[in-house]
Amino acid sequence: MTDKCAQQRPTDPVIPRSGAEQLKDDLTKEINRLNGLSTRGVMALALFLFVSILAWFGFLFLPAPEAVTAVLGKPPSGRIISIVLLLYTFSAIILSLSRMTAGLEHRSSFSHVGYLTGFFIFYYFDTSLTDNYWAVFGSGITVLGVESYRIWNFCAEGIAKNKEDMEYVTRTGRPPPEE
Amino acid sequence: MFATLAGKALVPVGLAVSGFMVVCCLVLFSVIRDDLHRGEIVHATNLADTILKSTRYAMHKSDRETLATIIRNVGEQKGVDHVRIFNKKGVVTFSAKSGEINRQVDKNAEGCVVCHKGAEPVTNLGTMQQARTFKNSDGKGVMAITAPIYNGPDCSTAACHVHAASQKVLGTLDIGLSRTELDRSLAMLRIQMIIFCLMSLILTIGGVTALLRRNVFLPLQKLRTYVELSAEKGDLPEPPPHLPHDLDVIANGFYRVKHDAADKKQNSGASA
Repeated sequence: MTDKCAQQRPTDPVIPRSGAEQLKDDLTKEINRLNGLSTRGVMALALFLFVSILAWFGFLFLPAPEAVTAVLGKPPSGRIISIVLLLYTFSAIILSLSRMTAGLEHRSSFSHVGYLTGFFIFYYFDTSLTDNYWAVFGSGITVLGVESYRIWNFCAEGIAKNKEDMEYVTRTGRPPPEE
Repeated sequence: MFATLAGKALVPVGLAVSGFMVVCCLVLFSVIRDDLHRGEIVHATNLADTILKSTRYAMHKSDRETLATIIRNVGEQKGVDHVRIFNKKGVVTFSAKSGEINRQVDKNAEGCVVCHKGAEPVTNLGTMQQARTFKNSDGKGVMAITAPIYNGPDCSTAACHVHAASQKVLGTLDIGLSRTELDRSLAMLRIQMIIFCLMSLILTIGGVTALLRRNVFLPLQKLRTYVELSAEKGDLPEPPPHLPHDLDVIANGFYRVKHDAADKKQNSGASA
């Protein structure tokens, strides 16, 4: 089928051997880059789990909430933090689904770990971390789960396309047709 | 699973919807629990206030028997775990449980240390700071309020047993309410929320699956069967009817291309 397609495109230039090799090198590099990128979501998820373990044990390395609030003043109440957490979760999911729909490459996973750590810390200083731990944990798993799936799906599609292009270049010596 | 159309359509939707619903339920549960806890503290504070007002006259008159009877009767109320009054030295002078009378309380114990952690004990605490929760010797949850009994002009000038006017706190009332009912309500709420989450998840996944199957997968299957049949058989069948518009365009396009190709082949065969 692909051979027929190749025969139906007599105007496609046959690139010199060195050019074909260069193209294959570029495709290999792109496949390797996408392979590396595909684990980014899972890495962010692992980092978040590590932060969650620290939060579970009450951030032992942080100063006591009373000492910090004595210097910085009262933190926002637990209820305000919860409302912001809900808004953040909703926005992050919508943003991730929009990127999935548009097929955008965006590496935002680690910034989400930062935001979620912020929520843990705010709850810690409000001394309501125990009551709200699972809400932040659930939010993190959801947001990072959707993000991981988006990144993995984007990379899997990119790798499949590049492998097809590689096969085309190897077989025909021509650059793959533009989509 | 992830590579199929169904997987690609269902995994992100299922993950996003169920995850967000779980987070909402967890936050809602936390808010409800906080509200119930605050309500319970207010209830216990009001009860402590009522006891203090009811016993004030007996205290003025130094009527220990009436005072002991009031404390004992309140302690017999359903849902009350303990009621006791300490004097300034931390000795239990009245209690609903007779075994506790004359027992010394450790100032570093939970509920006492809040005021006694400094060199000078704190004499004014907010309502929320007065409350503490712990498990009693039976392993049941208790929410206790420690209310100070303040000195007043009518106390320091009373003829019966004068307290110095400089003495700000005369003693402490400690009342504990059982959290059994509250814990039971919260457990029920938790179960209801889990069931609600599961039902919503099943409805979402089920609804999306049913719609996808009806509107996308079955028509796709028809189109696929049509294309496979056209490739296998020599004669070209008509495109399947009642396909969604997009798939209908593809099927008709395929039919036209195949039909034109067959015509060209026939014409070239005839001319040869």
